[in-house]
Amino acid sequence: MAEVQLRAVRKSFGAVEVIKGVDLRVPSGDFCVFVGPSGCGKSTLLRMIAGLEEVTDGQVLIGGRDVTDAEPSRRGIAMVFQNYALYPHMTVAQNIGFGLSLAKRPKAEIEDRVRHAADILQLSHLLDRKPKALSGGQRQRVAIGRAIVRDPKVFLFDEPLSNLDASLRAEMRLELAELHGRLDATMIYVTHDQVEAMTMADRIVVLNGGRIEQTGAPMDLYRHPATPFVAGFLGSPRMNLYEGEAARAMGARVYGIRPEHVLLSPERGRWHGRVRHVERLGADAIIHLDVPQLGDLVARAAGETTLAPGSEVWASPQDGTEHRFPA
Amino acid sequence: MTVLSRSVATAPPARPRRRARWRPALTGGLALLAALVVFVIPFLFIALQAVKTRREASRLDFAWPTEWQAWENLVEVVQERDYMLLLAYLNSTIITVGSVTLLVIFASMVGYVLQRRRSRVNGVVMGAVLAGLMIPPAVVPTIWVLQALGLFKTIHGMILIEVAYNLSFSVLLYRAFIATIPRELDEAAIIDGAKPLQVFFKVVLPLLWPVTVTNIVVQSIGIFNDFTNPLYYLPGRENVTVQLTLFNFQSQFSSQMNLLFMNVLLVTIPPLVVFVFFNRQIVAGMTAGAVKG
Ligand SMILES: Nc1ncnc2c1ncn2[C@@H]1O[C@H](COP(=O)(O)OP(=O)(O)OP(=O)(O)O)[C@@H](O)[C@H]1O
Ligand SMILES: [Mg+2]
Repeated sequence: MAEVQLRAVRKSFGAVEVIKGVDLRVPSGDFCVFVGPSGCGKSTLLRMIAGLEEVTDGQVLIGGRDVTDAEPSRRGIAMVFQNYALYPHMTVAQNIGFGLSLAKRPKAEIEDRVRHAADILQLSHLLDRKPKALSGGQRQRVAIGRAIVRDPKVFLFDEPLSNLDASLRAEMRLELAELHGRLDATMIYVTHDQVEAMTMADRIVVLNGGRIEQTGAPMDLYRHPATPFVAGFLGSPRMNLYEGEAARAMGARVYGIRPEHVLLSPERGRWHGRVRHVERLGADAIIHLDVPQLGDLVARAAGETTLAPGSEVWASPQDGTEHRFPA
Repeated sequence: MTVLSRSVATAPPARPRRRARWRPALTGGLALLAALVVFVIPFLFIALQAVKTRREASRLDFAWPTEWQAWENLVEVVQERDYMLLLAYLNSTIITVGSVTLLVIFASMVGYVLQRRRSRVNGVVMGAVLAGLMIPPAVVPTIWVLQALGLFKTIHGMILIEVAYNLSFSVLLYRAFIATIPRELDEAAIIDGAKPLQVFFKVVLPLLWPVTVTNIVVQSIGIFNDFTNPLYYLPGRENVTVQLTLFNFQSQFSSQMNLLFMNVLLVTIPPLVVFVFFNRQIVAGMTAGAVKG
């Protein structure tokens, strides 16, 4: 358990500045998720916290201690990589215990701690296997076990679930959340999947182009996005965003309304349009409308909706759910 | 209806398909024939001469031997010049084992650093490695250097020469293979608290086994069979290596072809056995590299 703090952190690769001054405080015990589009610098930021990437400028503090120049192994962190990075020539037990054996801990203690970590992750029956003989989900568990056994103050995850299939990902999401509750450690988690961000985070950090766009609790960001970028990034289907003439008519430089906040009615409303396409998801349906005043408008309706392509419909925003972004 | 249409559809391409079937057989047969002429026939020729008497062998033809002398020839070759062949085997083995050991250690480490570390020195080192591959060695200056260092005409000097001449190739082999090992593996080890040497010896080196076998086999055969370098840098009766024993049976005035070819046979067989034995692994090390975690 430790607080992680970044102070005016910058990173350049040669002449290219990738992280352009990041200030961030992750409170002790938080589950903090970095999201952002590909190439925005999430991994780079995480690797700087881990000490795998040198900090060009600024400071990294873990538990109040300045670790900007400390070795990765001296920072009290553990990291789980996207491709698992298990040592292929070692068994599961050796993989998990590698750090301890490097630290020359007594054999009995290593065995104990490996067994304990394996119990938490239900890996006990696999301890003698090589990584080659494991499924993707099991490999990811071993990688997490390798992190747990080090008893770190801070866990770092770089897109740990992106190589898993959808159902396994949902399962692991839950497991990680439970693990967080159980270990009570600070966790920093990188993903570009906004579902993972929304479901797991205590706090989301939205990154864009090497800068922090906004920080906050998931529902805060959902309700009050500070910029059109954040508004468009969180939420699925994404928010309807309009610029130019349509937005100016609504009194903003950028105007936004989420699909779930668009009310449809056969008789009256603010905008009149025609249904172009209906995507039925079961519980609800995504309606794509052509609205002359706005352009495209996406609305979420009940799954049993009778709307069909070609029908005329009125749409209006729910009270208090509109987003107006000033210039 | 369906039967009719199917027979209509298959009838016309029948001829091209038949040709397509015997063509691979023909090309394969030709390739085998070529391989036979190039590789097998010379070997049979050697074996044939090696078991003949001196007179029959001097004719250098494919005639079947009237008198078999395999054992006598063998004994004579081995005993020639006070068991020189055995000394040569000993020397060649020492040189091969010594230089291949050093090659594997140095090349894997250099290849690792070259592949992993981002540094400006890398370009220079890479240039040197490629130069070592492309620029032919200059013999006389090398001898001067060896003499100045007191390494000329010594076995360990010869080992260093073989290491220097073959290092480039091994480094390139290792570098290419290490590129297929994910960098995250190193990073995971670093986070686990491994020091740089531990990262290399405990995590990376064990994964290099396939390419190490390739290196050992290819370089052993090359160094064991080396003729010119020992000729230049390792003169002296007590320093003889296997390939140089061939001179024993070829002089201006007399030549004993049966013994010469028996000697060739004895010198060729160990590398051949090694090659046949490790053939699969050599190819694996050259091509494979899939060590996905
Ligand atoms: N070693 C490097 N040398 C040069 N540029 C790099 C290096 N590593 C990353 N970059 C650049 O830094 C930027 C940020 O990379 P980073 O890997 O942090 O992105 P990311 O947000 O993790 O993206 P993704 O979601 O695709 O993983 C990218 O533009 C990338 O090209
Ligand atoms: Mg990344």
